[in-house]
Amino acid sequence: MAALTAGRARPGTGPTPGLRTALVGALRSEVTKIRSVRSTYWTLILLVLASVAWSIANCAGEAYRWSQLAAQDKAGFDPAQASILGLASLGQLIIVVLGALTITSEYSTGMMRTSLTVMPRRGVLYGAKAAVFAAVSLVIAVPASFICFFVGQRLLASTHVAATLSQPDVLRAVLASALYVAMCGLFAFGLGAILRSTAGAITAAYGFLFLLPQLAKALPSTWYADVVRWLPGGDVIAEITSTAPGQIGTHLFSVWGEFAVFGVYTVAVLAVGAVLFLRRDA
Amino acid sequence: MIEASGLIKRYGSTLAVDDLSFVIRPGLVTGFLGPNGAGKTTTIRLILGLDYPTAGTVTVNGKPYQQLTSPMHEVGALLEAKAVHGGRSAYNHLLCLAQTNDIPKRRVAEVLGIVGLGDVARKRSKGFSLGMSQRLGIAVALLGDPQILMFDEPVNGLDPEGILWIRTLMRSLAAEGRTVLVSSHLMSEMENTADHLLVVGRGRLIADCGMAEFIARSSGRAVLVRSPQPDALARAVTDAGASVANTGEPGQLLVRGLGEQQVGDTAFAAGIPVHHLAASRVSLEQAFMELTADSVDYHAAVPAGRSSAHNGMEA
Repeated sequence: MAALTAGRARPGTGPTPGLRTALVGALRSEVTKIRSVRSTYWTLILLVLASVAWSIANCAGEAYRWSQLAAQDKAGFDPAQASILGLASLGQLIIVVLGALTITSEYSTGMMRTSLTVMPRRGVLYGAKAAVFAAVSLVIAVPASFICFFVGQRLLASTHVAATLSQPDVLRAVLASALYVAMCGLFAFGLGAILRSTAGAITAAYGFLFLLPQLAKALPSTWYADVVRWLPGGDVIAEITSTAPGQIGTHLFSVWGEFAVFGVYTVAVLAVGAVLFLRRDA
Repeated sequence: MIEASGLIKRYGSTLAVDDLSFVIRPGLVTGFLGPNGAGKTTTIRLILGLDYPTAGTVTVNGKPYQQLTSPMHEVGALLEAKAVHGGRSAYNHLLCLAQTNDIPKRRVAEVLGIVGLGDVARKRSKGFSLGMSQRLGIAVALLGDPQILMFDEPVNGLDPEGILWIRTLMRSLAAEGRTVLVSSHLMSEMENTADHLLVVGRGRLIADCGMAEFIARSSGRAVLVRSPQPDALARAVTDAGASVANTGEPGQLLVRGLGEQQVGDTAFAAGIPVHHLAASRVSLEQAFMELTADSVDYHAAVPAGRSSAHNGMEA
């Protein structure tokens, strides 16, 4: 027991760090948290593998049947989109799980009470958690998008229409797809903070990103056109991943307009989550 | 120093903490005692800023907990032992918590040694036994080397070796001059460890006193005596200033207010034969039960005919 005092990290009550120190500490802590559980690796590896596999299957398939395609189909083919659509459409499914788990796993395990005991500044904890998750998802999604793009274009080489990053809108499409994936994750993170349940948050995120756009399709086509531009999960994915977004549908806002719409939803969900996180009993 | 004033916590229609005011002084082991559901855990959660009080205030070293800039250096708390992410190794669990308060890595290794988890530091805590989880929780509390330590039901579910370890640890922490608050629903847990007692029942403060005072006040000494003439004996000792309780056994009385010598002398003077006479100290456990009898939420049904609190006492 002599070690109890011998090991004194600091005598007395220790330092009195300001907000900046608290934020740095919380960020380091959240990095340790996210890198020290297996679910992070499983979900991120799955995200990369699924996206790349989709790119390979789709692009190899297109290249294989290229010679049989009608001229009209060839003209409408978007090689960049053929390689990155999988990242956006499959990646969102997977990142939603990680985004929700980042906060809900602390509730399901009881870890949140320990976390809040050592870091009682709840706003700092919440902000650090969201920031670290956003950074991790971007660090994975952006390279994954480029990998999907380059692998896909390599497979499309025989068609002689493979895209390059220097072509108009290609780099934009590759980056926007990754950004979309990260935003889906943050959206699920906010839902996780609100619902404090992994299953609840994932279900709610899927409901918003998949179910609502599908339900909207039951509407008369003129109504659908008015509604779907407000629903990020539907036709918006096709627009974001496209290098000719204007041709996807005149019923949508521009790519960045759609990002703004999704951004407002995401910020709103994150803000509601933050208010509840600050006010509720842990 | 922890100061609570008029603390009230209501969950829906349940009043978990009802107007608690107390001061937990430095350098003492304060036992926080009460039956299950008395509001001990809720009070600790209020102290730690995990839950917000419905009314009242509680401060740690003069500040609300949420305003502490470096809480791990001031307070170490053990809540439920299993409040960890089971997929994380013991080392990483401690590391991620240490980093929030700028505590160096070597201190993480150090506390792992103190609690005896050095060998399993890299193992995921999912596979830990309750005793190991409890040690991990205590390692968290010790990380910042705080002056105040709070343990919520630390020995619950532990084997005798684990219980002994925690008792020894608490005593050594107190011997170093730290403030220790330990909650329990077992009076026997407090007998050897606590200097001061806070007794709660149904969210209300029942007693706030030193251990010695608690023993003196609520147990006192009693004498168990058996006689073929219990009624005459009862009259005689009552006349001598004692109070008498029936134990339920025929011919057996529990006499309070007189020592065994005085009870024997009184019986002899009155010419009443005595077959058995022995000092019987009411155990702390019983004193606690009597004190909180009215405040237990759920009473077990008592078998017919044996409801007295004093029955069956042998010295």
